[in-house]
Amino acid sequence: MLIFIVLAPFLLLLLYFIVQPQPVNIPIKGRHVFITGGSSGIGLALAHKAISEGARVSLLARSLSKLEEAKKSLHLAYGVDVGIFTADVRDYDAVKRAVVDAGPIDVLVVNHGIFVPQALEKQDLDEVKLMIDVNLMGSFNVIKAALPLMKVRKDNRPASIALMSSQAGQVGIYGYSAYSASKFGLRGLAEALQQELISDNIHISVIYPPDTETPGLEEERKIRPEMTNMIAGSGSVLKAEDVAKKTLDGIKSASFSISFKMEGQMLAIATAGASPQRSFFTAFLELLFSPLSRLITLLFLSNIYRSISKSHAN
Amino acid sequence: MVILSLFLLPFLLLPLLYIIRRPRPVNIPIKNRHVFITGGSSGIGLALAHRAASQGARVSLLARSLKKLEEAKESIRLSSGSDVSIFSADVRDYDVVQKAVSDAGPIDLLVVNQGVVVPQELEKQGLDEVKFVVDVNLMGSFNVIKAALPSMKQRMDRLPASIALISSQAGQVGIYGYTAYSASKFGLRGLAEALQQEVIADNIHVSVVFPPDTDTPGFERESEFRPELTNILAGSSSSMKAENVAKKALDGIQSGRFIVPCNFDGHMLAIATAGLSPQRSFLMAFIEVMLAGVLRLVALFFQWNWYRCIEHWHEKKKDT
Repeated sequence: MLIFIVLAPFLLLLLYFIVQPQPVNIPIKGRHVFITGGSSGIGLALAHKAISEGARVSLLARSLSKLEEAKKSLHLAYGVDVGIFTADVRDYDAVKRAVVDAGPIDVLVVNHGIFVPQALEKQDLDEVKLMIDVNLMGSFNVIKAALPLMKVRKDNRPASIALMSSQAGQVGIYGYSAYSASKFGLRGLAEALQQELISDNIHISVIYPPDTETPGLEEERKIRPEMTNMIAGSGSVLKAEDVAKKTLDGIKSASFSISFKMEGQMLAIATAGASPQRSFFTAFLELLFSPLSRLITLLFLSNIYRSISKSHAN
Repeated sequence: MVILSLFLLPFLLLPLLYIIRRPRPVNIPIKNRHVFITGGSSGIGLALAHRAASQGARVSLLARSLKKLEEAKESIRLSSGSDVSIFSADVRDYDVVQKAVSDAGPIDLLVVNQGVVVPQELEKQGLDEVKFVVDVNLMGSFNVIKAALPSMKQRMDRLPASIALISSQAGQVGIYGYTAYSASKFGLRGLAEALQQEVIADNIHVSVVFPPDTDTPGFERESEFRPELTNILAGSSSSMKAENVAKKALDGIQSGRFIVPCNFDGHMLAIATAGLSPQRSFLMAFIEVMLAGVLRLVALFFQWNWYRCIEHWHEKKKDT
């Protein structure tokens, strides 16, 4: 760490030249933002924010009635009409129809997701399959449906594909085997996809929110195993509007990883791994703080395993 | 004086890391224990079976093709005189997997090694291929673990047991052409991190093995239609022979290592992607903390190189 401080100016210059892909700005105003899982929670908050910044928004979700409520609330707030499309992301044909009807997409926000926490030993494989099918396979369906038109878009401006992950997509915790599996998967998809789409000026972002105040969280809280609460229950809970704001900012600057609050930044540094980093300054912070963050991580994990030991002894 | 003490500060870390190391280090004996290997009829799985059998383990193999299983059984009998049990099943079919696991008897070391890879740009790839890769590699692993867990949790001896997942370097970094494969392999790690916390109390230890390209029939098939750019980018890491991967894998599994790299590049990648993985060895923990920054810089260089390759490749294509 000291070495990095001493060599800072040299490093900053080096990083400035080597960060890949290059930094880019993705305009939102007047562009088409398509949000899956857009009828509630973070998706709906994102819709609000995008509209307030002048975007044309389309929402995809399963429930027509929730979509219509969302449409009405957005119309009341901004006087603007959003396109709404019902589809289950597991059904490729339905997704494809929706995407075609919506028109060419500039910013694709793959935000839908399901979360059923349970120890794998107790969890039904149907629930595991549901999470993988919706969260992971469903994301493949949405991206595959939208890609062709995104690749041949008329303007040559940068476009974006943003994937809503979770802090559970950075660390696996008791009770999250299926959910973390699906969210970790999104990252593998994203790292590979960015290399495939960079030449089409399409930029990938992966978003890692902590627990966020949404109807989804309320449902999940009811069934969380006690052990999960003990380990993960103490993190901060964010408001959906705040997550939406930071998300949109991150998408506009084409950040590959978008995190929230100090906790989130530490997690991001700890799990930077081999992911791309466009900001040379953030790269410098990663170098500077990764030793400390690994140490903090080890302390955190030590604590978790101690708690598990203690709880099992009782 | 100040410089000296600053220099010595890192070494204060050693006792700290020793005290906090959790889960504790463990040794998982393999002799006379039951090793159950999925995808065990060829490639890395078969090499693992040979090695385990030669170390005195009782081995069971699960795979789809009965014919390949019988060939594998014969080759192990010839080389180590050991009789392995064979079970034919598709990991996507839970009921058949359940039956095989039940017939095989309580498992001590479960090696979830089955996997398929169909490298292709997502734009060009059929979704049925994506689904195939995710279903076999990820959902299939859930099926196998779920089937084996109950009897593993209730085993008679209280010796440490193991659940090992065979991932790939593509499960540490996503590369052009591997959207589906990397998705499935990254998923295994999320599963493993959570699972370890759930089974540690039962003295079951989770390992994730990260081999590079390995000389196997699977790799031969894959090489035939791997996109050119994937070949260029993946060439950054050297390939290995299956026997060597098996050796590294089993050594790592037996010492209960959570992340098991197989070669030098793998070790570097492992430190760079240590993330929130548990680390039982306080020495390894020390190395991870000390080198975290350096390896992140190395990783950034790799991405710089890869993105430049990608750019040049596209420019060449445009000219032709």
